[in-house]
Amino acid sequence: MIIQFVLNEKPCQVDISPNTRLLDLLREHLHLTGAKEGCGIGECGACTVIMDGNAVNSCLVRATQIQGKKIITIEGLRQNGEYDRLQEKFVEHGAVQCGFCTPGMILSAKALLMHTPHPTLEEIHRAMEGNLCRCTGYNKILAAVQDAAGHGEGET
Amino acid sequence: MKQSSCIGGEYPVHDAWQKVTGQQVYTGDMQRPHMLYAKILFSDVAHADIATIDTSQAEQLEGVAGVFTHHNTPDTLFNNYISYVGQSAPEDERLFADRVRFVGDRVAVVVAKTPEIARQALRLIDVTYTPLPCLPTMEQAMADKAVSIHPEGNLLSQAELAVGDCDSAIKERANILETTSYIPRIHHGAMEPHVCLAEYHPSEGLCIWTPCQGAFGVRNMVARYLKMPYCDVRVIKTVTGGSFGGKQQSMLEPIAAFLAKAVKGSVMLQYDREASMLSTAVGTAFQFHVRSALSAEGRLDALDIEALADAGAYATNSVALPFSAGKKAMRLYRIPNLRYRSKSIYTNAPAGGGLRGWGGPQVITAMEIHMDQVAKRNNMCPVRLRMEHLVTPGEVEHYSKISLGNARIRECLTEGVELFKWYRRWERPADTGRFRRGVGLACGGHMNGYFNGVHDVSNMHLKVNEDGTLILNTAIHDQGCGTLISLALIVAEVLEVPVPSVRVLEADTHTSPYDMGTYSSRVTYVCGRCAYEAAHRVRDLLLEQAAVLLQKPKAYVYIQEGAVFVKGSSDIRMSYGEIAALAQTKLGQETAVLHGYSNSSNPGSYGCHFAEAEVDVYTGLVRITDYLAVHDVGRVLNRTMVEGQIQGAVQMGIGYTLTEEVALDHNAVPNARNFDKYTVINLPDMPQVRTKLLEYGGDDGPFGAKSIGEAALVPVMGAVVNAVNHALGTELSVLPLTPKKIVQALWKGKLP
Repeated sequence: MIIQFVLNEKPCQVDISPNTRLLDLLREHLHLTGAKEGCGIGECGACTVIMDGNAVNSCLVRATQIQGKKIITIEGLRQNGEYDRLQEKFVEHGAVQCGFCTPGMILSAKALLMHTPHPTLEEIHRAMEGNLCRCTGYNKILAAVQDAAGHGEGET
Repeated sequence: MKQSSCIGGEYPVHDAWQKVTGQQVYTGDMQRPHMLYAKILFSDVAHADIATIDTSQAEQLEGVAGVFTHHNTPDTLFNNYISYVGQSAPEDERLFADRVRFVGDRVAVVVAKTPEIARQALRLIDVTYTPLPCLPTMEQAMADKAVSIHPEGNLLSQAELAVGDCDSAIKERANILETTSYIPRIHHGAMEPHVCLAEYHPSEGLCIWTPCQGAFGVRNMVARYLKMPYCDVRVIKTVTGGSFGGKQQSMLEPIAAFLAKAVKGSVMLQYDREASMLSTAVGTAFQFHVRSALSAEGRLDALDIEALADAGAYATNSVALPFSAGKKAMRLYRIPNLRYRSKSIYTNAPAGGGLRGWGGPQVITAMEIHMDQVAKRNNMCPVRLRMEHLVTPGEVEHYSKISLGNARIRECLTEGVELFKWYRRWERPADTGRFRRGVGLACGGHMNGYFNGVHDVSNMHLKVNEDGTLILNTAIHDQGCGTLISLALIVAEVLEVPVPSVRVLEADTHTSPYDMGTYSSRVTYVCGRCAYEAAHRVRDLLLEQAAVLLQKPKAYVYIQEGAVFVKGSSDIRMSYGEIAALAQTKLGQETAVLHGYSNSSNPGSYGCHFAEAEVDVYTGLVRITDYLAVHDVGRVLNRTMVEGQIQGAVQMGIGYTLTEEVALDHNAVPNARNFDKYTVINLPDMPQVRTKLLEYGGDDGPFGAKSIGEAALVPVMGAVVNAVNHALGTELSVLPLTPKKIVQALWKGKLP
């Protein structure tokens, strides 16, 4: 079936089986491989993308569910050659090791900061609790998110 | 001379920008022309003969390129742990089983045009089993003489390492203390599940792209298995989404290689989480029985460790690993009579394999739980008891008879006690309410390479480009630990050039000089030293070539800030690029060296960890509320990554202690197959890990640096268990300390 949606701020139309997972649509059909499959059951967050402002596990979203929706992937976070503040802070704080969880981590944080520019620690915890990392122990990830938030994410 | 040093600075991993933008290409992101997809059918019973297997329907499905089972694959037995030439280990595994030995054993594979077709074809394969009695535990496997998982019986191997005479020492003492502990079977949990891409061309041979830890080992293993010339098998290490030892063995490579050769094309073999968790290898479960004899003066005369290691269904590394654990047990405390005995037992469980620390985390956890119990039952201070026995700098370890190097575990303990305000927290009265806090500490250590065991060799080619930038060609494997940036820092420091001007290449068996692989905490210490020496040789070569080009004696030229100058002639300056370009045109030379380094020492990397646990006695839930890790790292190369390694190890260790286990039911069916039931610590449950890094240097590593990634896991479990026991007054020692076990222990103790 034909599905129309907005992908990284550009209109997008695909002809695809309605049961296709959003993750497979992105990775296999649109060749956007930033979203990763770590578990396939919505437990690890490596496939996180932003759908209409909310972080979702793209392994649990079917293609039909994105009709008319706005999807942001890690590839769309960099605007006009400018890195997103979260991307800069993840690099600066050494919050990236193997990097497999990184796109999902950044997008969960991004969705949080889009609607809560100055989150409390507890709000960060809630936003990031579904993203697993095995390398960093999260300390530097938390520091990166706090730093990005502290500098007024969303403001110019 | 030099303005600033890059050693000890803060650097992100070399590919951090590609990773934060989603541009980095992992193996599963790769595409090849006409690439096919392989999906495997895994056994859902633990022990059975395959009576019949019908693949005819699957074969007829459109888009299926091949279906393979034990009927049309070699019956050659192999061991996926074997890597270097001449290495021996029991070969007891087939590519596809005719008898399955655990839930997750490989039964059949479909190669198809799309992953969907491959999955669909798997559902059309009809298998019938003749069940065999199932042995899920080591106790059952040892007791049941009638059922053998492999023809040689269920006892895979035994090891004994001893100094002094434990039996006599224990007989002479009245004060004998015994503890038992269980360290569970865990999943490595690298966020990237196992994956391998293999491609075969009749004229080119095989090319294998894999996020492995030892490309030459994979090549040796695959070429030997497929009986192909080494020059026809090329292994290229790809970006790795974490390993922790889980990708150390050739888990998928022989399968993908066989399939690519069979269908004469490209085959992507990608495991999902369940397959990664059950069908590759798990961290080996150990049962320990520890006895010690204490003198009236409070000194341990003897420590006797008996270990049972659960090999699981196939041998893989389970002969070597329990022995290696014993060697690690010899390196922490100086006790005159110290013995370690182990048995490796086959069971119908997922195979044990290499995991961060290679037996060290298991045996040291048992020792550190024991030390706390000795202290408690004899009303001694746990710091004092350890301090009486910890090894000292320069000490020769009595079993292996090699130096432990500048071992600074005592300083770790002393500094940590101070920083953590240990005594104030340890001596405070026990809590009595719902939430009870306690503190625990544990010591631990790990190796720096293979010396005194396996050959420990690295070779690197370092060349200066015509613009002065450098390429270090190595066969190393960055697992996401910042290995490449570490080597770049070392070369940049020696040659006084900016770090970004050094590019470090990873393993490609067709083009890289030989290196053993990323094992045994050898990368910083051994490979780093190789890079350091190679850089010094290039420095010398630059001076030599510049002297010839400038027609000056070599003694008259010197290097400052990445260029060559002539003493007394401040107007003459030759950049590295000019030297390299002129060396080619005027001297007919390349400004490059091929350097080999063979390691001849193995100091210890030590650490002491301090945890504060808060236990909810109503629910049995534990929260780690404070954490300090003090480490003897020799010298910090990249502070960011050293801290990251420690913090990541603490995350893994807290899970290891409290939540993580691949447990089996009485039919050897695993309880957890994915992250829904296999709980790893997430961000809100993770404490802030304070780190203190001690830099005494003094050993052979580059600028004095030693290993950290494996060493950092070793003390975690002991510190957390000891903190929980301190909070509750319990003697819990069967990991993981689940809420159920904690509540049961409290009720047994008749606490409210």
